[in-house]
Amino acid sequence: MSNNTDQQNTDLDQLVGETTGTPFLPDEKVKMSARNVDVFYADKQAIFDNSLDIGKNEVLAMIGPSGCGKSTFLRTLNRMNDTIPICRITGEIKLDDENIYGKDIDPVLLRARVGMVFQKPNPFPKSIYDNVAYGPRLHGLARNKADLDEIVVTSLKRAGLFDEVKDRLDASGTGLSGGQQQRLCIARTIAVSPEVILMDEPASALDPIATAIIEELIDELRQNFTIAIVTHSMQQAARVSQRTAYFHLGKLVEVGETNQIFTNPAHQLTENYITGRFG
Amino acid sequence: MNNTEQIKRSLKKRYAKERRFRLYGLTAIVVSFLFLFTLLADITLKAIPAFTQAWVQLDVSFESDTLGLDNVNEQTINEGKFRKAVKSSTYNLFPDVSKRKQKKELSALVSGGAQYQIRDQLLDNPEWLGTTQTVWVKADDQLDVWLESDGELGKISEQQEQWIAALQEQDRIKRSFNTTLFTAGDSREPEQAGILGALVGSLLTLAVTLVLSITVGVATAIYLEIFAPQNRFTDFIEININNLAAVPSIIFGLLGLAIFISLFGVPRSTPLVGGLVLSLMTLPTIIVSSRAALKSVPPSLMEAALGLGASKMQAVFQHALPLAMPGILTGAIIGMAQALGETAPLLMIGMVAFIVDVPSGVLDAATVLPVQIYLWADSPERAFTAMTAAGILILLVFLVAMNSLAIVLRKRFERRW
Amino acid sequence: MENDLHIDQHISQRFNEELEDLRSKVLEMGGLVEQQVMDGTDALVNGDAELGAKVVERDTQVNAMEVAMDESCVEIIARRQPTASDLRLIVSIIKTITDLERIGDQAEKLGAFAVQLSDKGVSADKYSNLENISSKALAVLRKALDAFARMDHEAALEAAKMDEKVDQEYEAILRQVMTYMMEDPREIKKAMRVLWAARALERIGDHAKNISEYVVYLVKGKDIRHLDSLPEAKSL
Ligand SMILES: Nc1ncnc2c1ncn2[C@@H]1O[C@H](COP(=O)(O)OP(=O)(O)OP(=O)(O)O)[C@@H](O)[C@H]1O
Ligand SMILES: [Mg+2]
Repeated sequence: MSNNTDQQNTDLDQLVGETTGTPFLPDEKVKMSARNVDVFYADKQAIFDNSLDIGKNEVLAMIGPSGCGKSTFLRTLNRMNDTIPICRITGEIKLDDENIYGKDIDPVLLRARVGMVFQKPNPFPKSIYDNVAYGPRLHGLARNKADLDEIVVTSLKRAGLFDEVKDRLDASGTGLSGGQQQRLCIARTIAVSPEVILMDEPASALDPIATAIIEELIDELRQNFTIAIVTHSMQQAARVSQRTAYFHLGKLVEVGETNQIFTNPAHQLTENYITGRFG
Repeated sequence: MNNTEQIKRSLKKRYAKERRFRLYGLTAIVVSFLFLFTLLADITLKAIPAFTQAWVQLDVSFESDTLGLDNVNEQTINEGKFRKAVKSSTYNLFPDVSKRKQKKELSALVSGGAQYQIRDQLLDNPEWLGTTQTVWVKADDQLDVWLESDGELGKISEQQEQWIAALQEQDRIKRSFNTTLFTAGDSREPEQAGILGALVGSLLTLAVTLVLSITVGVATAIYLEIFAPQNRFTDFIEININNLAAVPSIIFGLLGLAIFISLFGVPRSTPLVGGLVLSLMTLPTIIVSSRAALKSVPPSLMEAALGLGASKMQAVFQHALPLAMPGILTGAIIGMAQALGETAPLLMIGMVAFIVDVPSGVLDAATVLPVQIYLWADSPERAFTAMTAAGILILLVFLVAMNSLAIVLRKRFERRW
Repeated sequence: MENDLHIDQHISQRFNEELEDLRSKVLEMGGLVEQQVMDGTDALVNGDAELGAKVVERDTQVNAMEVAMDESCVEIIARRQPTASDLRLIVSIIKTITDLERIGDQAEKLGAFAVQLSDKGVSADKYSNLENISSKALAVLRKALDAFARMDHEAALEAAKMDEKVDQEYEAILRQVMTYMMEDPREIKKAMRVLWAARALERIGDHAKNISEYVVYLVKGKDIRHLDSLPEAKSL
């Protein structure tokens, strides 16, 4: 089996080679950094020796064909993969110079610092208020009810949802429309004030208006947070991100300024993918 | 366009098939409904007599010397000769009866429990001492059965028939609702036998079962479903749990006898040991259904909670468990219903004993509804036939009540997501 | 492979066809414009008013082609949202056809001069020195179109370089004409006409140079316009 993986590895190396572009940033700009990360699901390798920096206050878009490991890579950044028993990770991932897979790192604390928004809106079957208040309550971020109210309201406002729901904070979160639910999930995530927000195809089920609202929100959130977003929409990646990373079969093929990736990608595989050619 | 034609033709066939299938389904429902109806009707009809009781009116003289009592209180009352008082007042109904054999037949019309009844009445009304009171006492079960069956059943001699006719003339025989059925424990005498003992026994046993099997079962399910690593050992446990659900229940009884009673010395015939054994039996059901319920909770919710920094434990108890609750409750209902109707394992641990007293705790000897029914069905007295049917009816009502309660609970827990 | 844009390798066959169609139309327009420049120069040099009129008339064709292709490009942008090389191709084409149309306009000017001059019975021999600059401007145009057809950025760089020759030629004509004018002020009017014609040809060279620069952008993704000494371009 490991032979098989090795074989696959060399094939891939021939096809892709070293990551093209600028995976690394100057030290002072780095928020998270991954070095030589491999991810395995049981015996199957899903991520092959990837290294990448994510800059402070930047939106990094991750694109690539289905099954290329974008979600897997994203989930290694806040150790969500820990919840999958067969998943094994090697390499090093740092958040502010601290190895998040280190022994003294508590994944629960890590996830409060690196929040996540999922592909499918997944509000809790609770009231809108309780959805947003869940994280702050969990971590004891509010000293009293007034504090909590404040957090809930500002989070909802920042997620651009407050005006739509201010009269029905007690209504169920699952009763909202898809786009509203997704914004609720974003509000829920930012209520914990994470430093990094990971988004896995946050707008994949939304209409253009809801998508635009969320993209606008991402742009605004960038001032305070670092954001990594997985998306299948080239236009979305082009619109919201400063840097774009292209993955192919578990390998990081190219990273670069979004402008450059979408006008003049350096790697043929990137070019083929974003222009809709046979790869 | 000939495609359309073809589809049209096949459509006709498809619709016909569908109609046929619906018909089959409807037939099946009608048939099973008929069966159910027959069963219920039969049981109800048979049970009706058990809900009424015949009474005979006697003029009992509570004279101090006949009873051998000077005053009435808790201690002295048991020395009273109430049996004699009942007998003499019975003879007084027909003063011309003098033959020993006839006298015996006459007193056989009144329940053997009448003496206790008048004793209790005197205890309640001490001022009756030294007076003669008209009281209604229970008739013997033979008389009861004879009356209910319009003379077809019951061992009643011709002489007795005449007396009964005479008594009816004088309005000294009445029939009323049989409250004893619900207020007394078991007895050898059908007119004194009640289901309360078994009912309370069942309740206590089920309470023990419920507490044990839900806590242990749900905990096991959560551990296996969410925390346990996927390996040979957990696979092995899983297979065993599934197999356990298919083990004949009597085996659990044997196990209970060997382990709980012999090894741990839990008192036999008690609701505690019964509950323990029934827990063993219902655990697999509850574990399997709880696991299925937990599995059906959208993993995205757990992920959402974990992604916000909840620990696994918090994610489970705050999100997965509440959503799985309806499913878990369904499993519990099925398990409890099973336990409620179970007899075989309880026979092994002595819950089949003849117990008159209503149990007052899980450590009192007790019996349960199905076992009581089984005991009555086994009794020779004619009146117990109706009692058996009544017992079954009560068991069914109990079951329905329990299920409805669980359904109400489930409705409250049920939430959309 | 380096220089090939694989415009026939999209998953969408329609897209392939649309791009191929657009590309061949650019070449067709290029051919037409080239013909116009040749004919315009010929008409002028040979004093052929008929040919001149024909050139003027044919310019509407060039204009129509530009409009049609602009529309196709807008449609492709709206429907396909091209990225990377596709995006560069569309952008280059939009710009190329603008320059081609301008070249067409200059050719039209040449044709118009020819008509005017022959009306006034001016002999054509004074314009013979235009043949030189014309052939050089045409060479730039041909090379640029050729580079576009083959997506050959090296050829495109050569074309851009060749434009310097056209500029030099124009300088030479300018000096020459100025001497004429100083020698014989009565010739000023005629000399001015020559100068205008030369100026048109010089502009044609510039537009052709622009086209070659678009080809470099198309192939390499680098904008080499307005780089004085093209050191960066050379590094390509
Ligand atoms: N829980 C898992 N168990 C086993 N294999 C997995 C698991 N999750 C993902 N994989 C495998 O890892 C590879 C990468 O999957 P991943 O979900 O990261 O892809 P992705 O790029 O996010 O795809 P998509 O765009 O479709 O979401 C795939 O080959 C997938 O089959
Ligand atoms: Mg994914």
